[in-house]
Amino acid sequence: MFTDLNSILNTSPDNFKQGEFVLILDRKADASFLVHHFLSFYLRAGCKVCFLGLVQSFSHYSAVSQRLGVSLAQAKEKGQLVFLEGLKDCLGILLPGGTKPERPTLDFFSPQCSDLRGLFEFVLSSLSPAGGAGGQGDSGPESLRPPVLIVDDLSVLLSLGVSAGAVLDFAHYCKAHVCHELKGSAVVLVRCEEEEEEEEEGDEQGAEMLLKGLTHQCTLALQVQGLPTGYCRDIHGQVDIWWRGESQQQNHRKVFQYKVQDKGASFFARGTSSAVL
Amino acid sequence: MLLDVLQGAEAGSFIIFRDSASCPGRRLLKSYVHAALKREEEVHVLEFEASEEELPTGLDVHCAQRLHIHGGFADPLGWIKRSSFTVHQFTSRSISTLISSQPQSKSALLVIDSLSWLVRHLDPVVICKRLQEIRRGGAVKTIIGLLHADLHQISVVGSVCHLASTVISVEPRTNGQWVLAKTTKRTKSGKVLQEEELFSIQENLTVTVHSKVSHTTQTQPETDSVEADPAANLTFNLHLSEMEREAKEKVALPFVFSQEKKSALLNAGQGAGRILYEPDANDDFDQEDPDEDLDV
Repeated sequence: MFTDLNSILNTSPDNFKQGEFVLILDRKADASFLVHHFLSFYLRAGCKVCFLGLVQSFSHYSAVSQRLGVSLAQAKEKGQLVFLEGLKDCLGILLPGGTKPERPTLDFFSPQCSDLRGLFEFVLSSLSPAGGAGGQGDSGPESLRPPVLIVDDLSVLLSLGVSAGAVLDFAHYCKAHVCHELKGSAVVLVRCEEEEEEEEEGDEQGAEMLLKGLTHQCTLALQVQGLPTGYCRDIHGQVDIWWRGESQQQNHRKVFQYKVQDKGASFFARGTSSAVL
Repeated sequence: MLLDVLQGAEAGSFIIFRDSASCPGRRLLKSYVHAALKREEEVHVLEFEASEEELPTGLDVHCAQRLHIHGGFADPLGWIKRSSFTVHQFTSRSISTLISSQPQSKSALLVIDSLSWLVRHLDPVVICKRLQEIRRGGAVKTIIGLLHADLHQISVVGSVCHLASTVISVEPRTNGQWVLAKTTKRTKSGKVLQEEELFSIQENLTVTVHSKVSHTTQTQPETDSVEADPAANLTFNLHLSEMEREAKEKVALPFVFSQEKKSALLNAGQGAGRILYEPDANDDFDQEDPDEDLDV
């Protein structure tokens, strides 16, 4: 959890806005530090978190969170965190000798299934107050906090053969249920690749459409970019924070530069890095 | 013209609000809906993108009674069997049953939020056909729809927009709080009117037009087309005066074959070279092949 970012976004674990749909996207930079931020932020806030980890293993997230002062293993044990280890489960389906999952969570691998309904049902069952994969029996104060969905990251689904439209449908259902019905929040990461010559035309259009569609849906967009002038040791890149409200007053954006540190990250206005001043 | 469109349209019109990710147009759609409700029209909304609670905010109770939301937001594709209206139910028959289920005196306004949901899930041809059926059906007076133009192929956006009688595209303006609206209106006589206006939407959802972007400035002769003289500011002289030109023309070029040169070549004077050849005794001169010794 980065206190700098909290003060920019005007939130804290004790007092945060509900019903937010946060889109994190990165271009020529790595925005996964923001995923770790939101994961530790919501765990510290006592929310029930469903994490779809499609790019890294549980131990990776666990190790990073340990540095940020949150124990994922403990949260998982308590039932506060439901972790989908997409990396491992995908392998189980794809390899001939792998273990086949009982639930239709990763059904999108089968040729006759073109939507992400299974994945959505997994999210729904893990976050709904009644059921829950964690089997949370006690109705302590924790169960009162709104649930949170974090996805790292949605573009992987495109590479796994899901169409951009299906991913958008999934995102819409997650928004409708997690953000509106359960009054929780959702954080999704999308990576946009720079246009490359070799890439297929259709692929690129899909990624672009996914990005545009998610931008239409989100309430807050954090766009992480590398510096236009190239790599720098003291400034790792810039974040374009875009509050997307309906009215012109609510709809504004600000650009900050950041530096990822060992335990956290610092954010500062452009040109005010300590290395410059 | 934007205000004229928001004032209400004649029966059978179809208005598209075109927006992009950088400039959302839902608020303009909302202000149209609010204006229609205040005109005491019955409004039916096919809501796929915003929650049901979002639209009636800021409406008084009296107006809210005339607003009927057919929510597809929670379940637009029927995944969890909770929807009152899914994307695939978009046919003229189910629309007219939806509308006729509400007792009212006059024909209604149908709002589709958004057309992009339909375009993504149905064939463009099917959508165009069904929209046309709904327009002709008579149950609906006006159809308005929001279309996220950047989500679809240009051809699809174009063909849906061709159906519309009015297309309003909203675009961001970097300077200030205003938004640019490009309105294209096709009248029944076939005349096409176009106008660009800068507008803003107040807290109470009323639209204020600030200025019209005039086209006359654009059609004026462009200043760029006056050709710049590349030889204007040079450090050396590129131009020739009349005298210089004459002097230049007098100079004979080195390889011009003049009369003097010709005569000098023809009358070889003294001291000119000549080839003398006295055949050797050993020389085996072949009359038929004089170049034999050249070993060709």
